Amino acid sequence: MSREQLTRIGLALISFGVFLGLWQAVVRLGGYPAFILPPPQAVAQRLVSLVASGTLWRHVQVTLKEILAGLALGAVTATVLGYLLAHSPLAERLLAPYIVASQSVPTVAIAPLLVIWFGTGILSKILVCALIVFFPILVNTVVGVRSVSQDLRDLMRTLQADRWQMIWMLEVPAALPTLLAGLKVGATLAVIGAVVGEFVASDRGVGYLLKQGQQLYDTPLVFVGIATLVVMAQALYGIVALAERGLLRWQKH
Amino acid sequence: MDSTARKSEPLLRVEGLSLSYQRGDGRLSVLEQIEFEVEEREFLALVGPSGCGKTTLLKLIAGLEQPTAGQIHLAGNPVKRPSRSVGFVFQEPTLMDWRTVEANVTLPLELNGGNRKRAREEAQTLLDLVRLTGFEDAYPAQLSGGMAQRVALARALVHDPQLLLLDEPFGALDALTRERMGRELLRIWQARRKTVVMVTHSVPEAVLLADRVLVLGPRPASIIAEVPVDLPRPRTAEMRETPACSQVARRVRDALEQVDLH
Repeated sequence: MSREQLTRIGLALISFGVFLGLWQAVVRLGGYPAFILPPPQAVAQRLVSLVASGTLWRHVQVTLKEILAGLALGAVTATVLGYLLAHSPLAERLLAPYIVASQSVPTVAIAPLLVIWFGTGILSKILVCALIVFFPILVNTVVGVRSVSQDLRDLMRTLQADRWQMIWMLEVPAALPTLLAGLKVGATLAVIGAVVGEFVASDRGVGYLLKQGQQLYDTPLVFVGIATLVVMAQALYGIVALAERGLLRWQKH
Repeated sequence: MDSTARKSEPLLRVEGLSLSYQRGDGRLSVLEQIEFEVEEREFLALVGPSGCGKTTLLKLIAGLEQPTAGQIHLAGNPVKRPSRSVGFVFQEPTLMDWRTVEANVTLPLELNGGNRKRAREEAQTLLDLVRLTGFEDAYPAQLSGGMAQRVALARALVHDPQLLLLDEPFGALDALTRERMGRELLRIWQARRKTVVMVTHSVPEAVLLADRVLVLGPRPASIIAEVPVDLPRPRTAEMRETPACSQVARRVRDALEQVDLH
């Protein structure tokens, strides 16, 4: 590990320590009861008990499944549709108004409808996730595919590249930086989508845990839920960022 | 040039070529009645005012665009669509940033599904020719403009096309690099002896490299002068200073000035 990395980790630890200290001080000085603002150690205890009993992992698994399935569904449909839109001015003129209009409807407001239509099971959550990641990935796909240089297209044509070679050897790699940027945004949005879906109706998942905590005034549980979601969003973002580093090595030189 | 035996069928024949676009109410005429031939192993330069449609002419020859009227024959066959018999070098290097130098050069062979090992050997030969040995694993972002354009040249040659089309290949480079690239191209052409049609803005470049210079008029472009370059081969960059060379250059410039007066 390099010196620079050590410094960065050291600073992160220090700032986290300061954060915990401030939190503790606020609880002490304000004299708040635990159900309003629990001290850090209460949250830590709750975390340990939830991990030890396997409860946390069971709920994380459910939410993770919803996120990954929703992200995959949303990303695939958005990429395919975005590709078609980028290539067909007619399709764009027909669909663009609806797509833009659909963006002014908050996904949160559609979630109850999805639950009515698709039930309280995992499917409605997957669809909320897919819906929320759809737009940013769609836009990035259109921008990415449109950014492919006309000269490179002409080059491929003089070399008699077929449709698939055009896609896989030119358009996909050329649009990849923009596509991955969209996927990074989508990954964090997917976490929000899953939780919104679980808030509306669910009997499992991290969103369900949060709701439980609220109803029972088990505030440490709420804190554990929030922290879990932060870690999940960060991890997903990190995975995409890592993939980006690996796939776009040619950019840094 | 030894062309007596082939006089009947030139490698490239352009006949009555016109191109116009529908633009609002009227038609915008870009090329009008272009007619010329290029013999095998000949180096033809096209000069003309900017925006006169020289690039469009090259795209028509490459089959990337279709003419409104007229015909193009390459090696006796009518050009109807893009064909691999043509190697194209654009004004910008137009490399794939995500591919290494070597992978950029092997692209034309890969698209054809050829043997990978053979493709790499071919690429190596050409990278040696354009003096980029040792840069096989570099990415385009690491190259200077001149180096990148040499990679593009190697890529245009790798599938051994019958005709090389160069669209102001050094137009985006600074003056010094441009002059050096002109000398490099001369050396490469003398080593490979491809049939070349090159669009350029630079009269000295055209005269040094070409066997014949065609001068195009302003839009709608037609050929307004044909200047043969009777300088001996092999040529060297020093020939630019000879009286014979300046004489040819003056004839080309005179033709271009006629254009300006119109």
